[in-house]
Amino acid sequence: MQLLIGRARAGDTRAFEELARREERALYRHALRIVGTTADAEDIVQDALFSAWRSIASFQGVSFRAWLFRIATNRALDQLRSRKRRPELPLDPPEDDEVTWAEPVAPGPDLTQLAGDREALAAVETALEALPAEQRTALLLRDVEGFGYEEIAVITSVEIGTVKSRIHRGRLAVRNTLIGRGWKGPQG
Amino acid sequence: MQHPHAELSAYIDDALDPAAQAAVDGHLVACAVCQAHVAELRATAALMRALPDPVPSRSLLPRLATAPAWLAPLRTLMTLASGAAVFLFIASALITNITFLAGSAAAPAALDASRNTAASAPEAQAGGAAASGAPAPASTPFAAFQPTASSTPSLDLTRSPQSAATADNAQKRADQASPSPSEAGRVAVATGENAGVASQAPQRSPLVNPWLWLAVAIVCAALAIALHRRLRTV
Repeated sequence: MQLLIGRARAGDTRAFEELARREERALYRHALRIVGTTADAEDIVQDALFSAWRSIASFQGVSFRAWLFRIATNRALDQLRSRKRRPELPLDPPEDDEVTWAEPVAPGPDLTQLAGDREALAAVETALEALPAEQRTALLLRDVEGFGYEEIAVITSVEIGTVKSRIHRGRLAVRNTLIGRGWKGPQG
Repeated sequence: MQHPHAELSAYIDDALDPAAQAAVDGHLVACAVCQAHVAELRATAALMRALPDPVPSRSLLPRLATAPAWLAPLRTLMTLASGAAVFLFIASALITNITFLAGSAAAPAALDASRNTAASAPEAQAGGAAASGAPAPASTPFAAFQPTASSTPSLDLTRSPQSAATADNAQKRADQASPSPSEAGRVAVATGENAGVASQAPQRSPLVNPWLWLAVAIVCAALAIALHRRLRTV
């Protein structure tokens, strides 16, 4: 990995392509869940990889993967902002401190046994789409891509406290959606 | 201790500092509500990890291959070479057509002379042939017609432009070689020699062939276009 990065920084296009190929699918699923449309997500990833190649000399971090995700995430969020009429406004409304825990409405299948259930996964996708973009981004980086909180803070250029808050709110919202659809908690 | 609700996600992600982590651990031992919430959050995170992977419809790797440094100059060279070849094509076509016209202007004269020869041949044949010392076939009326046939206008653009001049020279030489030839014999010899020269006609350098330059122009233009496309896609 470090060897490939070194070769790519020295201008070896094949080394960079090998690095990019390893993250291509992950970057795509991430961009797709942020922007929501396949064509935009494909363009974002391709542009991000090209941009990464052009600025690879500036890469000095520890994690090349996090660096790629930072470029792609910024582009995806920029794309969302450009769709808004007033791009200078913040993407998400200000977060209040009220976090509610929805209670189960009816007995349902045990949440912990639903990992392979297509219906549950579809409910998760729906819940993600309804999340504010920055919460969604942080939660995807954590739960789907497996980044640590500090890495997510670097990728999204925010304080670690904000990362913590966004992940918790996002995850709780997904949990609430599932509970609202009739699933009970593992011990409920 | 109050329910550490806001800490529970960070708790399951091991993102709390050790003291906070220990505090939540202590709370969970006694709090069934928070235990349930932790289990729900873990289950939610597990579902997120299990989301299906969408597959892009195409390769998302950007085209990074850079063109070799010599590609752009080569394209310029090919473009210029193509233009030069077109110029040479026109120039060589003009040269061959001018000489062709000159050659065809001379041809009718030779034709008339030969016809006259043919008409008077029966009387002049013996004396003319003997006096000039020309090879027998060249002095026959049939042979006399040969050069006129080969000097009539044809599509052979590379035909020697010297054929007309050679005919004159040949006639002069015939005059010198035969002290008292008949008119018919002289012409027969002259046209006979002309036939020999004309049959070896395309001795001009192949560089004057316009088709060669047209082919070179097309090849160079095709190369220039191919190089241009290659450069544009990089």
